[in-house]
Amino acid sequence: MSAQKKRNFKIEAFKHRVEVDPKYAEKTWKILEHAIHEIYNHNASGLSFEELYSPFLVKTSASSWEFRNAYNMVLHKYGEKLYSGLVTTMTWHLKEIAKSIEAAQGGLFLEELNRKWGDHNKALQMIRDILMYMDRTFVPSNRKTPVHELGLNLWRDNIIHSHKIQTRLLDTLLDLIHRERTGEVINRGLMRNITKMLMDLGSSVYQEDFERPFLEVSASFYSGESQQFIECCDCGDYLKKAERRLNEEMERVSHYLDAKSEAKITSVVEKEMIANHMQRLVHMENSGLVNMLVDDKYEDLSRMYNLFRRVPEGLSTIRDVMTSHLRETGKQLVSDPERLRDPVDFVQRLLDMKDKHDKIISIAFNNDKTFQNALNSSFEYFINLNNRSPEFISLYVDDKLRKGLKGVTEEDVEVVLDKVMMLFRYLQEKDVFEKYYKQHLAKRLLSGKTVSDDAERSMIVKLKTECGYQFTSKLEGMFTDMRTSQDTMQGFYASQYSETGDGPTLAVQVLTTGSWPTQPSAPCNLPAEILGVCEKFRAYYLGTHTGRRLTWQTNMGTADIKATFGKGQKHELNVSTYQMCVLMLFNSADRLSYKEIEQATEIPAADLKRCLQSLACVKGKNVLRKEPMSKDIAEDDAFYFNDKFTSKFIKVKIGTVVAQKESEPEKHETRQRVEEDRKPQIEAAIVRIMKSRRVLDHNSIVTEVTTQLQSRFLPNPVVIKKRIESLIEREFLERDKADRKLYRYLA
Amino acid sequence: MAITGTSEKVALQALKASDWHLEGAFDFFYSQPQIRAVTDSRHLEELYNRYKDPYVDMIMVDGVSLLCNDLQVEPQDIVMLVVSWHMKAATMCEFSRQEFISGLQSLGVDSIEKFREKIPSLRAELKDENKFREIYNFAFGWAKDQGQKSLALDTAIGMWQLLFAEKHWPLVDYWCQFLQVRHNKAISRDTWSQLLEFAKTIDPQLSNYDAEGAWPYLIDEFVEYLFENGIVQRGN
Repeated sequence: MSAQKKRNFKIEAFKHRVEVDPKYAEKTWKILEHAIHEIYNHNASGLSFEELYSPFLVKTSASSWEFRNAYNMVLHKYGEKLYSGLVTTMTWHLKEIAKSIEAAQGGLFLEELNRKWGDHNKALQMIRDILMYMDRTFVPSNRKTPVHELGLNLWRDNIIHSHKIQTRLLDTLLDLIHRERTGEVINRGLMRNITKMLMDLGSSVYQEDFERPFLEVSASFYSGESQQFIECCDCGDYLKKAERRLNEEMERVSHYLDAKSEAKITSVVEKEMIANHMQRLVHMENSGLVNMLVDDKYEDLSRMYNLFRRVPEGLSTIRDVMTSHLRETGKQLVSDPERLRDPVDFVQRLLDMKDKHDKIISIAFNNDKTFQNALNSSFEYFINLNNRSPEFISLYVDDKLRKGLKGVTEEDVEVVLDKVMMLFRYLQEKDVFEKYYKQHLAKRLLSGKTVSDDAERSMIVKLKTECGYQFTSKLEGMFTDMRTSQDTMQGFYASQYSETGDGPTLAVQVLTTGSWPTQPSAPCNLPAEILGVCEKFRAYYLGTHTGRRLTWQTNMGTADIKATFGKGQKHELNVSTYQMCVLMLFNSADRLSYKEIEQATEIPAADLKRCLQSLACVKGKNVLRKEPMSKDIAEDDAFYFNDKFTSKFIKVKIGTVVAQKESEPEKHETRQRVEEDRKPQIEAAIVRIMKSRRVLDHNSIVTEVTTQLQSRFLPNPVVIKKRIESLIEREFLERDKADRKLYRYLA
Repeated sequence: MAITGTSEKVALQALKASDWHLEGAFDFFYSQPQIRAVTDSRHLEELYNRYKDPYVDMIMVDGVSLLCNDLQVEPQDIVMLVVSWHMKAATMCEFSRQEFISGLQSLGVDSIEKFREKIPSLRAELKDENKFREIYNFAFGWAKDQGQKSLALDTAIGMWQLLFAEKHWPLVDYWCQFLQVRHNKAISRDTWSQLLEFAKTIDPQLSNYDAEGAWPYLIDEFVEYLFENGIVQRGN
């Protein structure tokens, strides 16, 4: 717009000096009043606003006109008359509009309301424009409601809150929503306009006149629906329905409700459909959480997780049920006598159970850490219910390292061992595991029956990382001994070079006492041929290692014997040292009684019986014949060299040095040794603690000792108490004179 | 000095304290809490020799019997324990020269008659809480074999029967029974001394027994034994 034009209008405005007597003011008002009427009826008149009033208008900008009259009225202090006149006129019009809306039939009600609202807004716009001077000057200085807002308030008071319309409006809206919920298609655009109207009138209008009742009605709708569903649906289906409803409501909000309603309506659905039925859903027979877990229903579980996380206690409900299910299942697994027969299978099932649930947590439970923790604590609980778990896990590893991992790639080996380590971490009695692992490793090393040295080492490294070097230092010592023995043997044979003969070839493994599992070994009488070469070795070794003492472990060795049978068939027998001693006797006798064998070999009775059984009573390995042919060895049995022995193998393995699940008495013995080993550890911990604290009460000592030792085992408070008393006896500690619950360290 | 039988030194002390008034001096003398009556060392020697073993410079079993006879008490009378305590005797049924003589000196007796007269007051010492505890704890070292750290069970039981006859403890028989059935080993010093505390502080219905009370494990087992056998009701 050019400056000149503007100036023109302005000048023109100023030019008009009018008389301002009341009569004139009244006349001026009448013109304005009429204009307002026309604005409201502008459709009816057919003429445009500008056309009607151009002479009276003042153009203040390219797009807005003002009644110079209005301008004048305000200027000459008649603003109050103008304003109240405006209120009156608008109110009158709105009342007429209300009547026409009320008269609308059925479905047209909303449409009429919507249309009239549209009209009102347009009118309001124009009115505001023509009264802009008043709006900008009179209104603020007299603290009146601005025109636009006034227009909205009057609409609210006269239309929305009109008695007939108010109820009907709400009912109509709720009815439409209900219909949509039950599957009908409704006019969403129209709904949108109406709710937007309510928002425009003020958020409290929206809330009071629509939202609050909407939420109440929704609550009872969903309460009813959820009741219905839960009677007839299984858990998975119910959750699908709930999810659908939830999504539906969110979509509803985005299409025709105010955005702020979303959180409120979703929380209604969550409460009615989920929170109120959580327990029933989770525990539903044949389809509840436990069934989903058992059947790996990832989708259903995922849905449950996502729905339940929206409500308070939702996830903890799932977690608690999962935990008790795990504990129950695990407890059954470890207590089932059938399962306990095969340690390797036992552990495999544990690993499978872990894998299964890891997968569920990862796929369906969003890798939720709290669920991981629940899984871990459940495993820790039931694995330790069976006190043979440490032994069995060691046997599992033994089986894998002995043959199970044959041909498996390095990476896959790592995977298997890592999984085993996870189980290991759950053990409370790690020192028991250590004892068994040592035993089993010893047997593997001595019989040369390990699938891969790298795998063995890898396992040691993992144990070291988990438990510290002290745990594995002895195990490593065992490996070192094996290597050193090889070197020693080389040196021995080099030194015997000049004396090679037909004598037996000796392979010695020299074991350092502290590193290997202690087994009491009763010496037995070795055959003469062996004794000679053994002595040579002893002399050689002690020659290079003064101050050491060597003891032959006849219960742990093996021998390869060449045997020729009745029809000249030759076989090479791989036997234990004891078995060799027995067999060699038959070089000089065809028949020997049990007693004679016992006398000659001096092998302890229990071992001897086992040995004879393996030589005479096992099909395919019976190089000896026994009379009578019974399975058990009796004191007056007689043994014969079995001329008629046959085997399709040239090399026949009869020795038994394989790690096995311990028998009851052996188990008992091992446990006793473990308990004995724990005593000094507990005492050392007590002394350490008391040395630094000087004075401490009983319960604190127990707590601290438990903390210090928990990476190895869980000390029994009674044992701790006994150790304290022992230390008092030996005058390391004393009771405080005044407070008998306190102990003092005696330097 | 003729009247009180005391020494010149003590007589002078008393007279000084009373400002040289004779009556006051007597009051002073007799009100002293620790009246150490002076003993004649010659008499003590004679007494010792009466009881001493012919071959060893010690009073042994026979001598002790004779002593008891002279005192008109049974050898197993608990008052002999009190006597031994005063003598700081190292082991039961024996007194060394030092122990006997300094013991009698501290008791303030140098004749059998005086000794006999002292017996009731010695017996009365068992009624004193603190003295009883000292005597009880003394008994452990005294009753056990010299070379051992612990007290043989039979001896311990005998001592307990004796001691708890004086200071009544309702559970003593159950305790002895329990030990014979379940423990069958020697008693440590800590267990011995803690038992007295247990008897003194824990009521026979075990209502104030606290499993976290740092009692020796043997006592914990005893409590368990009482519950198991229905001697005491659980849940107190």
